[in-house]
Amino acid sequence: MTARPSASLDRRTFLRMAGAAWAASLAARPAFALSRTDAVFASGYREPDGSFGIAVLAEDGTIIDRTPLPARSHGMAFSPATQHLVAFARRPGTFALVIDRSGTAAPITIAAAEDRHFFGHGCFSPDGRFLYASENDFDANRGVIGLYDAHDGYRRIGEYSTFGIGTHDLSVSDDGRLLIAANGGIETHPDFGRTKLNLDHMEPSLALIDAATGALIERHALPEKLRQLSTRHVDLDEKGRIWFACQYEGPRNDLPPLVGRLSKGEDLTFLSLPEETTIGLANYVGAIAVNRREDLVGLTSPNGGRFVMLDARTGRVLKEETVADAAGIAAAPHGFAVSSYDGRFAGRREDVAWDQHIAGLRPR
Amino acid sequence: MTNRRLPFPRFAALLAVSLLLSAAPPALAQEGSMPVLPDLTDESVVDVMTRAVDEVIRPGYRAFEASAGGLAEATTAFCKAPSDASRKAVDAAFRQAVADWGRIEIVRVGPVLDDNRFERILFYPDRKGTGLKQVQALLQKQDEADTDAAAMGGKSVAIQGFGALEFALFGTGSETLMEKPDSFRCRYAAAVASHIRTTASGLAAAWDAPDGVQRDWKHPGPKNPVFRTGKEAVTALLGILVHGAEAVRDQRIETFYRHGGTARPKSAVFWRSGNTWTSIDANIEGLRTLFDKSGMVGLIDPNFASIGGNIDFVLKSLQRVAPTVGTDIEKAVTTPEEQQKIAFLLVNTRDLILRLNGEYGGAIGLGAGFSFADGD
Repeated sequence: MTARPSASLDRRTFLRMAGAAWAASLAARPAFALSRTDAVFASGYREPDGSFGIAVLAEDGTIIDRTPLPARSHGMAFSPATQHLVAFARRPGTFALVIDRSGTAAPITIAAAEDRHFFGHGCFSPDGRFLYASENDFDANRGVIGLYDAHDGYRRIGEYSTFGIGTHDLSVSDDGRLLIAANGGIETHPDFGRTKLNLDHMEPSLALIDAATGALIERHALPEKLRQLSTRHVDLDEKGRIWFACQYEGPRNDLPPLVGRLSKGEDLTFLSLPEETTIGLANYVGAIAVNRREDLVGLTSPNGGRFVMLDARTGRVLKEETVADAAGIAAAPHGFAVSSYDGRFAGRREDVAWDQHIAGLRPR
Repeated sequence: MTNRRLPFPRFAALLAVSLLLSAAPPALAQEGSMPVLPDLTDESVVDVMTRAVDEVIRPGYRAFEASAGGLAEATTAFCKAPSDASRKAVDAAFRQAVADWGRIEIVRVGPVLDDNRFERILFYPDRKGTGLKQVQALLQKQDEADTDAAAMGGKSVAIQGFGALEFALFGTGSETLMEKPDSFRCRYAAAVASHIRTTASGLAAAWDAPDGVQRDWKHPGPKNPVFRTGKEAVTALLGILVHGAEAVRDQRIETFYRHGGTARPKSAVFWRSGNTWTSIDANIEGLRTLFDKSGMVGLIDPNFASIGGNIDFVLKSLQRVAPTVGTDIEKAVTTPEEQQKIAFLLVNTRDLILRLNGEYGGAIGLGAGFSFADGD
């Protein structure tokens, strides 16, 4: 299996952009963690020398293996069916790297299609056949879902609209029929870097999309008074309820609701968290995860340096901890694994800066 | 902009020094210990934030407002009486306005993001030629409504800023401006210049309002709508520098020149008027002014003051080289000596970003530097 970018950007161009040293380091790597079955998490990181990569970790936070990346990554997608792990470049990123954890194939690089960039998140269909990536059609200022065929070297076979702008996280229902797009509502364009171009007229929404056809099933725009509440990340619980977490771009002394849930066919509802919890989250939830076995919802806020654990049945706060530079969160056998920018992961410290998200490598 | 050229051997030595500088271990490692992190209370950052606002940001917008006014007046005068002298006055006023915008353009937060002001002033890069096509069509159509500065704000942002004005004054067909007074093209240019002044005035007024954004920036606190804590305020200040340096490298230089890539000289900002390096040099000057005048180095552990010295050194190096690159961008991207200068700027803007992000960010307690606190 060779590195294979999407049809619209040739491999040579991508590799020139990524750098020859990175390509060489990747080609020389052995099969990925073939015999290590204790890997349960993956996360992007930055090395002390400023280089980037993606690591897989054991339950206790021990790094099992590292794969270098040409630039900073953000979210990941993992398919238990195929054991493929994908790291998406941070927005406005132009690459995604597919790693075969079964060890049978070399990594594949996916280069963003022309006039599109990755928003940093994606997910697999339950059978692992299709990879869905949140992407920006930046000249048209609309979010799209790039569709990639895992059976054909991750060739980009089409795209769906997300029916919103500034799409960030993307998830799929357990039966694979429904795609859930968190349309943060913030306009960005690669010509202006990470600058948020429309904070005075944001359009946040959550969209439920037919995974087979791309048709819009439901679109839930946030109410007018919450127009500056950017819907950024989602996760699903055992009942198929969609939990979403937000980042607020309005006045810093407002205390908007930051977490909510949604079921197909129902209106979205926000959780009414205690005021001190909302203050602690600093109007910025960086990551959300659901622990299905224990019916828990976990939140992290790097800005507030906070980890919050909720009862998914009642919405009640069960635990609230100060975690400086809190970054990623993922369901653990008991509770959650939490990482931080300063190298802590599940209580262990490594000499890296963990990035904003953790992917679980076991079936949910 | 001065066009002083460095002799090549001297430049090569400078590049070598720069590469050595880039390869040097960071100050944290050199000094063998970690800096004591400052307690960034609401009160402790007031001085720094006040200096940033009162000595850099507000004067920056006022300077831009003044030069935009000068440009509008010079363009109007040129339209009424085209001559070599009035033309030179327009050229000088345009360059001055580009420079003054470049110095304050680094502030990509606050009122400049309201109502698309940033793109109204400078719609760039125009990769698909959207703005160019609109301006060409407008000049072809000659609808008098397009010479009304007061109506400009309701039109496409691509036809109301520096990009449109530069094409009208310096682009294909601009030689006709000298042929007769009050041509449509010239009056359109004057209307655009006037609209830039209006936008600049709005920005200066927004920052000068005592109870507005300046108060919020100077005094973080629990009730502040912008910054609830001193750390948030200083992080935002560092963000201006990091994003500003990234923009110089990614959005201004690599747009037309990337090592090993295809050069696109006609994608360079202000290439038509020969002001590409005026703009880029002004960006760098703006970064240096903000870093130096705000006194933000004073917030970090004094034993690690070398972090500030290193950042200032890189900024000075960039400023020394940027104005010496030839104004003819087509020639600059194909001449080895000039290519090396541009490469120098790319290497050192990268170094600048790392130093601001990792070293300064680390020294004020941002775990993995600024960019990690700028999560998604």
